[in-house]
Formats: sequence, C-alpha cells, structure tokens
Amino acid sequence: MSIKILSPQEKRIQNEINNKGEGSKHYNRAVDIVKEIRGKKPVIDIERGLYFTRSFKETEGQPLILRWAKALYNYAENASVYIDENQLIVGRSGKQGRYGILYPELDGNIFKEAVEKLPARENSPFDISDEDADIVVNEIAPYWVGKTFHESFAKSLTEETSKLTYNKDRELTSRYIVNETASFRSSLQWVHDYEIVLEKGFKGIKEEAEEKLASLDEYSPLDYTEKKPFLEALIITCDAIVLWANRHGDLAKQLAEKEENPKRKAELLKIAETCRYVPENPARTFYEAMQSQWFTQMFSRIEQKTGTIISNGRMDQYLYPFYKRDIEKGIITDDEVQELFECMWAAMAQFIDLYLSDTGGAFNEGYAHWEAVTIGGQTKEGLDAVNELTYILLKSKREFPLNYPDLAARIHTRSPKRYLYEVAETIKAGEGFPKLINDEDVIPLLLSKGASFEEAYDYSVSGCAECRMPNRDTYTSPNAYINFAAALEMVIYNGRMLKYGSELLGLETGNFEDFKTFDDLLSAFLKQQRYFIKHAFIQQREIIRLRAEHFASPLGSALHRLCRETYTDLHQPKIEGGIDLGYFEYMGFATVVDSLAAIKKLVFEEKKITLGQLKTALENNFKGYEAVRQLLVNAPSYGNDNPYTDSIGKLLDREAQEFTRKYGAELGVHMDLRLVPFTSHVPFGKVVSATPNGRFAYTPLSDGSSASQGADLNGPTAILLSNYATKNFNYNEHAGRLLNIKLSPACVQGDVGTEKLVRFIEAWRDLKLWHVQFNVLNTETLRQAQKHPEDYRNLLVRIAGYSAYFTELTKDLQDDIISRTEHEAV
Amino acid sequence: MGEISYVFNIQRYSLHDGPGIRTIIFLKGCPMRCRWCCNPESQERKPEIFYTESKCIGSEECGFCKNVCPEKAIDFKGKAVIDRKKCINCLKCEAVCPSKAVSVQGRQYTVDELLDIAEKDSIFYGNEGGLTVSGGEPLSHGDFLIQLLKEARKRRINTATETCGCGDYEVLYEAAKNLDYILFDIKSLNNEKHRKYTGCDNKVILNNFKRLCRDFPSLKKRVRTPVIPGFNDSTDDIKAVLDFIKDFPNVSYEPLKYHSFGRGKYSSLGREYELGDISLDENIFEEIKNIVKKAGF
Repeated sequence: MSIKILSPQEKRIQNEINNKGEGSKHYNRAVDIVKEIRGKKPVIDIERGLYFTRSFKETEGQPLILRWAKALYNYAENASVYIDENQLIVGRSGKQGRYGILYPELDGNIFKEAVEKLPARENSPFDISDEDADIVVNEIAPYWVGKTFHESFAKSLTEETSKLTYNKDRELTSRYIVNETASFRSSLQWVHDYEIVLEKGFKGIKEEAEEKLASLDEYSPLDYTEKKPFLEALIITCDAIVLWANRHGDLAKQLAEKEENPKRKAELLKIAETCRYVPENPARTFYEAMQSQWFTQMFSRIEQKTGTIISNGRMDQYLYPFYKRDIEKGIITDDEVQELFECMWAAMAQFIDLYLSDTGGAFNEGYAHWEAVTIGGQTKEGLDAVNELTYILLKSKREFPLNYPDLAARIHTRSPKRYLYEVAETIKAGEGFPKLINDEDVIPLLLSKGASFEEAYDYSVSGCAECRMPNRDTYTSPNAYINFAAALEMVIYNGRMLKYGSELLGLETGNFEDFKTFDDLLSAFLKQQRYFIKHAFIQQREIIRLRAEHFASPLGSALHRLCRETYTDLHQPKIEGGIDLGYFEYMGFATVVDSLAAIKKLVFEEKKITLGQLKTALENNFKGYEAVRQLLVNAPSYGNDNPYTDSIGKLLDREAQEFTRKYGAELGVHMDLRLVPFTSHVPFGKVVSATPNGRFAYTPLSDGSSASQGADLNGPTAILLSNYATKNFNYNEHAGRLLNIKLSPACVQGDVGTEKLVRFIEAWRDLKLWHVQFNVLNTETLRQAQKHPEDYRNLLVRIAGYSAYFTELTKDLQDDIISRTEHEAV
Repeated sequence: MGEISYVFNIQRYSLHDGPGIRTIIFLKGCPMRCRWCCNPESQERKPEIFYTESKCIGSEECGFCKNVCPEKAIDFKGKAVIDRKKCINCLKCEAVCPSKAVSVQGRQYTVDELLDIAEKDSIFYGNEGGLTVSGGEPLSHGDFLIQLLKEARKRRINTATETCGCGDYEVLYEAAKNLDYILFDIKSLNNEKHRKYTGCDNKVILNNFKRLCRDFPSLKKRVRTPVIPGFNDSTDDIKAVLDFIKDFPNVSYEPLKYHSFGRGKYSSLGREYELGDISLDENIFEEIKNIVKKAGF
C-alpha cells in the first residue's frame, strides 16, 4: 500500500487528531467525539467481508441480486453494532475509532498476500488483529480466488489491451497506462435518492415491492426469472436495513439502562426510539431525517464500494421541509441543527476508504474521500435554492475542525449575494472548502444528454467533480484513466516506454529523430492518443458486460425510480429510460500540451535544439542536460492564457471528443472526456520518464485541467482563461473538468479580499467552467517553495506597488516573507 | 496606435493597487530616486540586464552567456558574475540564457498591444476593476500615458494610475480627464528630507495634488505614504500629510508599511541598496494606522 503522500484532507485530520482538535470556537459535541479517536491507528474491520463471504457460500446458484440482499441481511443480523460516546447520530460499519472495511468480491484474490505483507510494513497505516488476519487469509480470501471481478476481467482482455492494463504478475497490478478502475470499486461516484427514504421509509418501498410481487403474472417466465428475484431482493434489503437499525435501538436502550448521567440517558433513550422508527417509517422530525439518511448511506457502504464513497446529495434541499417544520414548531434550534450535522461529519471522518490493492490505494492516496454534500444551486423549478440550511451548512464548514464533509457549493447567475459572500468567507476559513460547481456549465450539458429541465436543475455533486441526477442517471460503471503522458512517451520511443523496457506497448509511429515537421509529430501523438482511447473503450465493453455478472445493488436499486419501474438491478448494462454518463479520464493534460508546445517552439520554430538532442536529454533524465531542460521549462506553457499552447490543448480535447462521437454509440453509453484525477496524477507520473516540458522522470503529472506544477506564471485569471480557451463548447462529449487554484493569503485578506474573491468566482461562473477549488497558501507552502522552487515558480508575492516571484528572492528575503506571512498576509 | 513605450512588467490579477481586480502596467522610467524603492528596475528608461543568480545553472551545464559576451564582462565563479563596468547592455547574453537567469527589464509595447492584454481579463473586472498604469512614473510618459488612458476608455476599461506626483501638470491634467481613480503618493511634507531621500523637490508634487483636486473634484483619489524608517516614520510626519489632504474632496488615505523585498533586485541590477538592514518599528506603524483611522480616513 502506498500511503506515503497524505492528501491535504488527511493531513488536516491527522493534525487535528494529534494536536489540536480542541481549538473549536463553540462547545462542540463533535469535537468530543473526535477526541475519542485521537492517536488511534485506523483498523481493518473484517465483518463486512466475513458475513458477505459466509452468505455467498450458502447462496451459490441463486440470482445475483438475491444473493446480495441475503448477504446484506446476514450482515444486518450478525455484525457488531456500536454506539459512540456522546454521539447522537448512530450507525457504524466497523469497529470504534477509524476503520476501513473489506469488499472481497472486488479483489479478494489478493487479500491473502496483502494481509500477509502487513506485519512486514514498518509504518503500516492500519492495524488488523492476528485473529482477524487469520480469518481473512483462511476463510475470506480462499473463497474468492477465481471468482472476483478483477480476475474475470483480466481474463477477458486480449494481449494487446492487457499489456496496456496490467503487469504480468499474479496480483495483476496496474501499469498505469490505460488503467481500469472497475476492479477496486463496484460503482462510480454515486448519489441515492434520499428523499424517498425520508418520505416513504423502507416500509413504503417494501410495501410497493410486495404489491408488485403479488401481482406478477404467475405463468410468465420473465416475471419468474427476473422480476420476482428483483422484488424479493428489495424486500429482503428493506428488512435488513430495518433490522440493523433496530439492533442499534436495542443497544441504545441497554446502554440507557446502565447510564448514570441523566442527560446522556435521555439522549440514549431518544436514540433508541429513533432507531426503532427510522429508516423503516417516514421521518417526522429533522433529527429522524438525519438518522434515517445516515443509516441509509452507511448501509449503502456495506452494500458496495462506491468510488470515493457514496455522496450525500442536496442536503439543504431534502432536509429543508423537516427543518422548517421543526423550527416552526419550536422543537429545534439552529445550533442543534448544526450539532446534528457535526455529529454526522464526526462519524464520516471515521470511515476510511480502504484499499488493499496498490492500484486502489494509489488512486486515493492518503485515503482521500469525497462524500460530497451539495448546497445551493437551483430548485427543480429553476429558482434559486439557497435557504437557511444552506447557511447552517456553510457555518458548520467554517467551524468544524475536520475536513468533512466534502462540501460542494452550486453557483449560478442568480445566486444571492449573501450566499456568494458566505461561500467566499468559508473558502477563506475552511482551507479551500467548499469547492464550487457551476450550474451554468453543468445544466446545459445535462440537458444536451437528454435530461428534462427539472432533472437537470436538481443535480447533485457526486465525488470530486461529477454531477448526478438521482432517478435518471443509470450508469454506475467505473471507467478508464488514460495516461496520455505515456502516449507521448510512445511517440518518443516508438511505441515503448523507458519504464517497461523494450516491450512494444503502443503503436510504432516511427523514429522520433525523423519527424520533419511539427504536424507530423503531432499526428503521431494523436494516433497514439486514439490508440489508447480505443483500448479504454474495449476495456469498457468488457467491464459493462462482466459487472452485471459480478455485482448487484439491491439497495441502490430500491432507491432508484427507474430500477424499481423496470425491475432492473442498477448494475445491469441497460436500464430503460436512463441516461448513461460514463467517462474516460485524460491524465496529464498540461504535461502533454506543454511538451508539444516546447517541441514546436524550440525544435521546429526557433531550432534551438534538435529532436535527437531532446531525446538524449530525456533518456538521461536531463542529467548533464540542464541547459536543455531550462529551455523546455521556459517554453510557453498551458495556464498562461497563451493561444500558442491553448490551441494545442483545445485540439487534443476536440480529438478525444471526436473519438467518443464516433464510437461511443457502440458501447451504448456516453463515454465522455473528463479531467478529474483524484490523486492519481501522482502514481501515473511514476511510470512516465522525463517529458519534453522539462518534467523529471517519474514525478507527478499535471492534475485535472490545472497547469503543470508552477508553470502558470500569469496568475489565476490566466489559468481560468486558458481553461476556457481549451474547451470545445460546441461538443457535448465531455464531462467534468477539475481545476485547482492556489491563492496567496494576501489575495483574500479582509473584507476587500472577500469581495475580490467573489468577483473572481463570478468570472469563473460566467466563463462556464465546470469546477474550481481554491487553496489558500500558508507559511508551510512557502517553506515548501523554498525547498522545491521548481514547483512553485508561479508563486507571486503580492504587495502594493511591488511584484516579484517568491522563488526568485534570496533566502533571507524569503525568510522575511515567511515570518511576515505568519502575522499578516503577503 | 503609434505611441511606444518601455514596460518592465505587466501584472494581471492585481488586488492592491486600485479597486477590484486589475491589470497593472508598469512603465519604465522615473524622475525620483527614492532610497527605499522596491522596484529599482523601474527607474531607468532604457532596457537593463537583470541577473537572478539563483536561476543560473553554471558554466558546467551551460556558460553560453560568457561565450557570446563581446566585452568579456561575464565570468563564472560557480555561477555567472557580470562585471557591470564592462557591460554595454548589448543584451546578447539574455538571448542565449536558457534558464532566464539573465533577463531584460524593459520591452517596448504599443498602446494597442497593452490594451489587448488588459482587455483579456475584462471578464474579471466587473464595474470596479480594470487597468492601472504604474511605473516608474507614468507622468514621465506624457503622450503615451494619455493615449493609453484615452484608448482604454474607448474600450470601456476602467482606468487608474499610480503616480508619485512629480511631473508636468499638463500631463496629469490630460490623464485625469480619462481616469476613474488615482493613487497619489505623498511621501513627506518636509521638503528638505524629501529632497534628501528622493532626489526631488516636493513642491511640484504638492502643487500638482492641489490643482488636481481643484480641477477634478469628483475624481476618486487615494493618497499613499510609504512609511520609511529614518525618513517619515513618526506620527508627526504622517499627521502633516493628513493635515495637508484633509480638506480636499474624494480623498482617501493609506500608509504603506516599509519592506525590503526589493533589496535583491539591486544586486540583480549590479547596484547597491543604500538603506541596508533597517526595519520599521511595528508599534510605530500601529500608531500611525491609529491616527489615520482617527483622522477619519
């Protein structure tokens, strides 16, 4: 497991757990809860893996969805239940403290090796007891060998696709070239229709299924083989979650009986009562709604591994009626509402997105997870949707010490001023959260994909930058991440990569030294690009076919109108009436654009170096060729609002979308171009040798649609404009684009700073860019910049009337600035 | 536009020199020689070689500059050392330097070229932000400045300028006709000190300010004073400035805290930083901020 690099989120949580945590501004129950986990190493909880395995052994030969439902029931009946000290929102899917759980149906074939390796790792990031390790190795893992999706999928690939996908080892580790992600998660980022749970309860869903079951045509083979198991699975699943909730109720009652503190005793009794009532029945109060939603999302985590964990949807919308009613009745206050939210965040912070496989771990280094909570945006009717809960959620984001949840604020042209200002204030206080998603880009795209206005207005942010329409989106298949920096390498080494030696991986597009014009070289790259996308599409065809044989989602299906109406499991390839929004990921966008631009400029226009010299410098990772590297680094680069590079970026984007336009139909889904890398630009960089943008071998690629590290020298407006200039607005074969912007503290200081941040956000919105997340720099960043000036060339010191790049200052001046930053903004 | 002038920097997304988000164009050339100047590359009108030692990759990997220098003014002691006495500013070294350790401060631009750049960010400006012409001293670029501001207005770009006030009133008058905002430095009312530390008389500055206020009463003016240790770092000095400006309409005020971040630039230009290691007393600056607040600015 590679957990060397911590995500900012993870760093913050560790910081809070180990040191601070008490620094909260108001009395905070959630902080008390978080204190409990301080200093404790995360643990692997095996119960999910165990009860699923045991159930699966018993149900072989039955319809898959039924087996899944029975496994869920087995878990609900037997798994340990817990109630944390001080908690008001209960329901954990693992041991107390921070924990991760096992999904052997994905890659149980590698569990044995992974767990056996654990004691050998000195800095193992999590604990597993000897007994549990024993169970994993001897009971869980053996059952799954030969049965996992990972193995089936690997077998389905031809040699040509396979060698772009996996190393030839037993664990089928990734080559990080055309990387499939379907083996380490059974669904892509997803959002449930939580509203139906709050409105009807699982009782309502169950009753509907029972009615349908009773009215099936007893002679119809279709009804018997498909509809019947589907409905039975739904019924069992509804029973399972209710049973699980009730067991929490029983535990709460027992604890209440023993509890001596009268205040806590009353809380426990209320928990007991609540868990007996929801999620079975419709929620009656805000508290019940919160508890009901939490049980649902936790049980969903038990059901399957959703990429980056199941999202929370539009909490300020579906919870609003409960909030309003309770406030009007006077049975809850805003502070109590905030406390309940924070109890939920504290619970969220304890669940770890655990991967045992190297590939999965690499994708989410530092266990990064994004169980997005969406706020703001527009109502189903297209009016502004901001309400009191929106502001409470923002306030909580400013005050809660951990980086949970992943708050996503929808912005549109009629977003109220107060909202924009509070969002900006929160970004300043919340270390960059919320991230922003732009209705003005997302909604037209969803409409063009066939959504109705109502559905499009009601989208939720899902994962880091995806947007989902609950009840309309039906495509859950995780997709390929394609390393286009590797495609570039194959142009340089004629279909090969330094990392993988003489093995022919891509196309032989000829000797690099022999390209006579830039256009020839560019078209060679585009051939490699198409070749990679082709293999991603081939993978996806197999994935779509095989997933249906390996995964089922009775809970997810119960919470999807189209699944219920068509008696189809969510993981089946085609669900009538659905919109299938898949994607392929363009890894290393700026790395490739900058490399091509540098070649065009230095080799073909200015003729400062030859292709041969360039290749030699690259092969040597610039050792002894620093002058060449400096030329490359200083060539035009993406992110500076420079048409020279941006036109290349736009071309690559368009070419990729062209492929989808032509071949997407063969897959029966939208396979759209996307630029959202999680943390995967780091592991993907680890297979790519030195690139012609001056990047050293095996260092990270550029991330998402952001500029190469430190290459954006013209400031944040230029980054947005480059992003804008590389988009093909006349195509709809694209999905999200992630954009990270670093701001120095001086940019956002004081009320004036807030105002200017709002202006910047408005411009971002008007440019119809998909996503933006701000990172306000701190002294730690400046110290990093001192150590690694190369990555921070873009860091401008902003003081009235003065300008210079931080990394160009002498050490003592840099120190001056660092100490100044500690007191005031620079 | 036919007018051409030297520019040493264009900074987009500027937040501290005028309202809103702005693009600052720094024109090269200034009549004053303030000892604390943090942009010494702004003072001379002509292009200059600017050498950033930390970027130099040394003679082993490179050394190209030494080979092209016709005056043999460059030698290597690990990194390049430029003998400024020999340097004739032919800029040949800059052309071959791969790492931009040697760069040229000062490039010619036409009015149109600059406005095209300023216009790129127009979506960020909103009603408040826009173009700020700074320097050096913009007033030293008479016709060019006036042309630039006039054309900016035509393109509906909000305009501001930053001036030390030392220049022809005719230019200031013509410029102000096309300005939405002006940042006006008043450094000291004590003429003797002013002359000693800036090389210029303050009479013309104060007069220009008075006339500007008389002729353009509705133009928003922000007076700024860099607070420099040993020069004007006392509440009395600042009070004098506040007294001077307090009765003029549409005037706001801001003291700027001394910093020495420009120090490194002096050695990059082969010059000495006269002020050396001095620093501003934090308490005095706090006091100054307080009296400014009390005075109602």
